[in-house]
Amino acid sequence: MFSKILIANRGEIALRIIRACKEMGVATVAVFSTADENSLHVSLADESICIGPAAVTDSYLNISAILSAAVLTGAEAIHPGYGLLSENPKFARLCAQCGIAFIGPTWEIIQKMGDKDQARTTMAAAGVPIVPGTDIINDPDEAHQKADEIGYPLLVKARSGGGGKGIRLVERSEDFLNEYALARQEAQNAFNDDGVYLEKFLTRVKHIEIQLLCDQHQHVVALGERECSIQRKNQKLLEESPSPSLTPKIRQAMMEVSRQAALAIGYENAGTIEFLMDAQGHFYFMEMNTRLQVEHPITEMVTGVDIVKWQIRIAAGLPLTFGQEDVHIQGHAIECRINAENPLLDFRPNCGTISFLHVPGGPWVRFDTLLYQGYSIPPYYDSMVGKLIVHSKTRELTIRKMKAALCELVIEGIDHTSQVQLDILSHPLFIAGDYFTDFMENEFGKPLSE
Amino acid sequence: MLNKGLFKKPKNELEAQHRIKRKTDPAIPSELCRSCPSCKQLSFTSDLENNFHVCPKCGHHFRINARQRLNMIVDPDTFVEQHHELSSSNRLEFPGYDEKLEQATLFSHENEGVIIGTGKIDNHKVALFVMEATFMMGSMGQVVGEKITLIFEYAHKHHLPVIGYTVSGGARMQEGMLALMQMAKTSGAVKRHSDAGLLYLAILTDPTTGGVTASFAMEGDIILAEPEALIAFAGPRVIEQTIRQRLPKGFQRAEFLLEKGFVDAIVPRSIQKETVKRLLTLHTIPKGGDQNGSI
Repeated sequence: MFSKILIANRGEIALRIIRACKEMGVATVAVFSTADENSLHVSLADESICIGPAAVTDSYLNISAILSAAVLTGAEAIHPGYGLLSENPKFARLCAQCGIAFIGPTWEIIQKMGDKDQARTTMAAAGVPIVPGTDIINDPDEAHQKADEIGYPLLVKARSGGGGKGIRLVERSEDFLNEYALARQEAQNAFNDDGVYLEKFLTRVKHIEIQLLCDQHQHVVALGERECSIQRKNQKLLEESPSPSLTPKIRQAMMEVSRQAALAIGYENAGTIEFLMDAQGHFYFMEMNTRLQVEHPITEMVTGVDIVKWQIRIAAGLPLTFGQEDVHIQGHAIECRINAENPLLDFRPNCGTISFLHVPGGPWVRFDTLLYQGYSIPPYYDSMVGKLIVHSKTRELTIRKMKAALCELVIEGIDHTSQVQLDILSHPLFIAGDYFTDFMENEFGKPLSE
Repeated sequence: MLNKGLFKKPKNELEAQHRIKRKTDPAIPSELCRSCPSCKQLSFTSDLENNFHVCPKCGHHFRINARQRLNMIVDPDTFVEQHHELSSSNRLEFPGYDEKLEQATLFSHENEGVIIGTGKIDNHKVALFVMEATFMMGSMGQVVGEKITLIFEYAHKHHLPVIGYTVSGGARMQEGMLALMQMAKTSGAVKRHSDAGLLYLAILTDPTTGGVTASFAMEGDIILAEPEALIAFAGPRVIEQTIRQRLPKGFQRAEFLLEKGFVDAIVPRSIQKETVKRLLTLHTIPKGGDQNGSI
């Protein structure tokens, strides 16, 4: 086991990791920017080192400062948390070169999964279903034939595309050739590259992800799924586990495919495979997150597995002490991300000093936060200030518990999102489990028909 | 700041008992980072390699060797070196020169202070010479002069443009007059190449001084320079000691020479290949055209 770990992150996740280390008897080193000197993680860690000014590029993304801090304090491993440097292959590689263990997968895997194309082909080769589509097609007739095989609606996407440019939706076969030509023209004009490919257009899909733990001895366990379809502009707002829409058969298939993929690519440490699932229960690979995720606590609640502790043990070379057959999903858990954003002003982030804080309590209620009374939220970083997680026997009981907990949460001094989450929890489509990734955009806030 | 002793320490024993036995303590290997002589900031060697050996923070151009330059400018696998075997001897029996040559060869892994050959730049066939700073500071002796003359003669014979990278401390003092006459010899070769209507593109890098500046470096049809390169005949220290005056900041740097009209453009490394490619395209005689470029 490592005797000392440096946590290259801030906020609630730094606290989460320090707490795991304290239980394990591992000494901790916190790093912080000048704007964070009053942060909780700085006080909670055994040692803390300032690594630069407020801007993340100069502090939390400053690789040389972080590595120097690790070397100076004699930290044997670095936990990158999520975001920041957690999926930076260069950082992982430099850690290895400095003789410091990076708590996460190898840099080669991070690099491979960070490249959209490479991740897709790697996963397809490992037997994971991917969204039906083609490689680059230059011949219109061949493209048309392939399009008919894939079925409509479909997307013509530019290889160099981005920012919504170079994507055209084709609804019917008779429109295909026209749209295909337009897409190529548009791509040529916008990116000077008319390479396009076809991809099935998925409507009404759910975002489902499988949590994996893989040790260095080829043991892989899947810790069930999380449903994260409640998103606003690709930012998750509320997650639950298990998903209300997964049949045991699909769950089994999804977990098995994910485990096989992790084995095939030689994955190590905690990781998540994200899928899109349509209303018929077909699921397709979206991407792999090679790090700890924000919403990991709901999996911890329903499985009883401490994911962060296992990340550290795995990085230290210890084998998993349980197998897939020992993983039992018990009850239901929901997480709400409390962001310092004003829902009435189009979720504009805000900051300020916390004049009063009341944290909800009671059995199976967990609030992971960087807040304390009197804390001033600096304006430089992510707007998430806490995660409220509750666990209960059934989904219905969990929704009740979450509503009660949200009402008990009081954060004075800033605007935050808890009212939005209360509204989501009361929405009939959410209660029915009948929601998709377009929920926030198309359903939420609309007058109900009845 | 929150009180450091705010939280008590739980004093839990280290889980899993055994500590990992490490072969070495964590350390940052010295070859992993380089500090920039200009802004003193630390950069990772891999970042510098990906950034043409230019400091990502302040734009300082680190000195690089001739092979690295060739890799940057010439299309992959197209460079064919010529006369690699030529090496210098101590004809004047200058004391200590033999040892110096031996050391320079070991240090630079090259036989002399310049590499010549042919290659393609974006499919334009060109003759190239690239001087090597790690071999006695790229000083010009008989072999350097001879190799440069040879490449101009080869380019003349085969109707090729010449692209030349200069970096030099000047004529090699250990070879005395034999080194100085290389100035006239190389200039003659440049003139004959020029009279044939062929292009010579000189790129001056830090530092280009002495006899090299006074001959082929300044004879290019187009003279480019890298940012802040020192380009001089007598260096600033010699001038300061002679006239007993402090020289203005930036004296004899590329930007100063551009202002005075000795240099045509300053081209950072990141756009060097692109610039050379465009200049070559502009100066290539279309197929079927005559030497005046008309078709």
